[in-house]
Amino acid sequence: MAASPTVTVTPPAPEGGRPGGAAVPRGLRYANRSLAITGTAIIWVALLGPVIALLTHLSWHSIKTSLSSPGAFEPLILSVESGAVTLGVLVLLGTPLAWALARGTLPFPRVWEAGVLATLLLPPLVIGLLLVFMVGPFTPIGHLLSGLNLSATDTFLALVIAQVYESAPYYILGAQAAFSGVDPRLEQQAALLGDPPRRVFRRVTVPLAAPGLAMALAISWARAMGAFGAVVIIAYHPTALPLQIWTTLQETGLPSALPFALVLLVVALPLPLAAYIWSARARSRRRG
Amino acid sequence: MLEADVEVDRRDFTVRAALTVAPGERLALFGPSGAGKTTILEMIAGLVRPRRGLILLGGRVLTSTDRPVTVIPPWRRRVGLLRQDPGLFPHLSVRANLLYGRQGSDAEAASELTELARVLGIDELLRSMPARLSGGQAHRVALGRLLLSHCDALLLDEPYTGLDASLSRTLTDLVVSLVAERAVPSILVAHELAEAQAFADRLAVLDSGEVLQTGEPGAVVLSPATRRVAELVGYTSFVPLPASPGQPGAAVAAIHPDRVVAGRRPERGLVLDGMVTSCRPAGALWEVTVMTGAATVTGRFPEPVASRRELVFTAIDPPVFGSDGASVARQPVSADRDTRWVRWTGVG
Repeated sequence: MAASPTVTVTPPAPEGGRPGGAAVPRGLRYANRSLAITGTAIIWVALLGPVIALLTHLSWHSIKTSLSSPGAFEPLILSVESGAVTLGVLVLLGTPLAWALARGTLPFPRVWEAGVLATLLLPPLVIGLLLVFMVGPFTPIGHLLSGLNLSATDTFLALVIAQVYESAPYYILGAQAAFSGVDPRLEQQAALLGDPPRRVFRRVTVPLAAPGLAMALAISWARAMGAFGAVVIIAYHPTALPLQIWTTLQETGLPSALPFALVLLVVALPLPLAAYIWSARARSRRRG
Repeated sequence: MLEADVEVDRRDFTVRAALTVAPGERLALFGPSGAGKTTILEMIAGLVRPRRGLILLGGRVLTSTDRPVTVIPPWRRRVGLLRQDPGLFPHLSVRANLLYGRQGSDAEAASELTELARVLGIDELLRSMPARLSGGQAHRVALGRLLLSHCDALLLDEPYTGLDASLSRTLTDLVVSLVAERAVPSILVAHELAEAQAFADRLAVLDSGEVLQTGEPGAVVLSPATRRVAELVGYTSFVPLPASPGQPGAAVAAIHPDRVVAGRRPERGLVLDGMVTSCRPAGALWEVTVMTGAATVTGRFPEPVASRRELVFTAIDPPVFGSDGASVARQPVSADRDTRWVRWTGVG
């Protein structure tokens, strides 16, 4: 065959010359690797440190005495109840907003997003103070509530409001991310196969977003359980778990507060952990 | 019967199309990327709203911008759309995916599913999750899902582009046989001619939103209506013809690289000669570039040719275009077949 003038011959790549990676000496590579592992381990231990400290400083005796006092479990029950109501409110009101944010169907989407972020960025204590000005007894909303024989200071309602403010951005932003991860073409395909939008949402959108939604819900549950800053200002009574820890700490000291901290962890953590395990399994099933 | 007469504005141009596809007919919309092919399908599927238009499917009005204004939403159109991404629902098993769009009695659906899964060769996979499937298997499931949903029209948006050639061919043949069996109108969008031809019994060439030519897949390639169509269907060289008494001005003959034979064959077309400037393998052929006097011509030949040699070859029956780009009658045929084409001699 005749040689063609357009054929160019590429010289063979030099021995062992991987693009980009090449000439790092083996020793240096090991040093790099061990440095990375050490750094990771340090931050991991540091983050888990408080939990380890809690477990090492608890004794059976102190747990027994703290939890056997009369009414010791009332704050726990209160926290679980208000947390459940909070989650219900978030799912009902937060899900549509999260979905609209994810699909960009709202006018001025950045403004809406900024509103959600504001509640995340404001310190909870400040939110509590501002809530007094918003829903306190001498405000229009307060008047409205008292007309309905309700009050948003030092009541169950106040506790739920404070918890909603502290946990809503975690749920809304998490759910937004979960919905954003759903390929709109799959929703389109479902529509073309005959499903009206509501059924598409139920059969495709929610199941596909479920792992992310579960995580968002679990995190906001943990936030609601641990809500303190806003709660201490507008819902000092009835006493929820975090406040009970605080008052116990104030009145009888650290050792008797620790068992309640354990109770709080035991109540707040299983849901997030279960959600984490479930969503990890669901994701891996879909990846095949 | 699917009838669409639609207009919609895109960024740079207006897409205008008037198409009629009979039940069981397979129309291919062929054109370069960005010609508006997908937009036409999306208008029929109800995903894009035409500025002006009327879309009818089996007597039902799907879209009408004239009174009474009608826009049937996608979920009530019964139009199936297959894209390059099979779009299987990752949280559902293959079986649940297949039955997704199925309305009606379970027993009937189950027997139809079994039968179709066997035809598609996916009966072993019904319990699998989509992530476990190969690309070809996923496409088979996507096709089965559409067919089980009993859609009244099938739209295929380059579904098998990017798969390897034999798999793409197998899947296309499968669609063709199933479309024929069910007698639904179907439209395939393709930017590769061979893909369009493998599917269609009618080809529409689309460019910048306009349908330039419609015809049988073979005929469109042999007799492109305009120079632009010729370019789109693969004619790469345009050789100016000498002015003749019947044809003043610059007529050009379009040369398709696959429609050339070596040697002087004046009875078959236009004889050209010139200097070979390059020769490189192209599949099982050799792609040879020849400098003729007026143009550089590319042709593919079964034998390699040495560079810097003179080559005489014949372009088989090339279409001829006038200076306005429209097809003109080929050179008048004289009694002597040899003079049908003037010989164009280049620098030799």
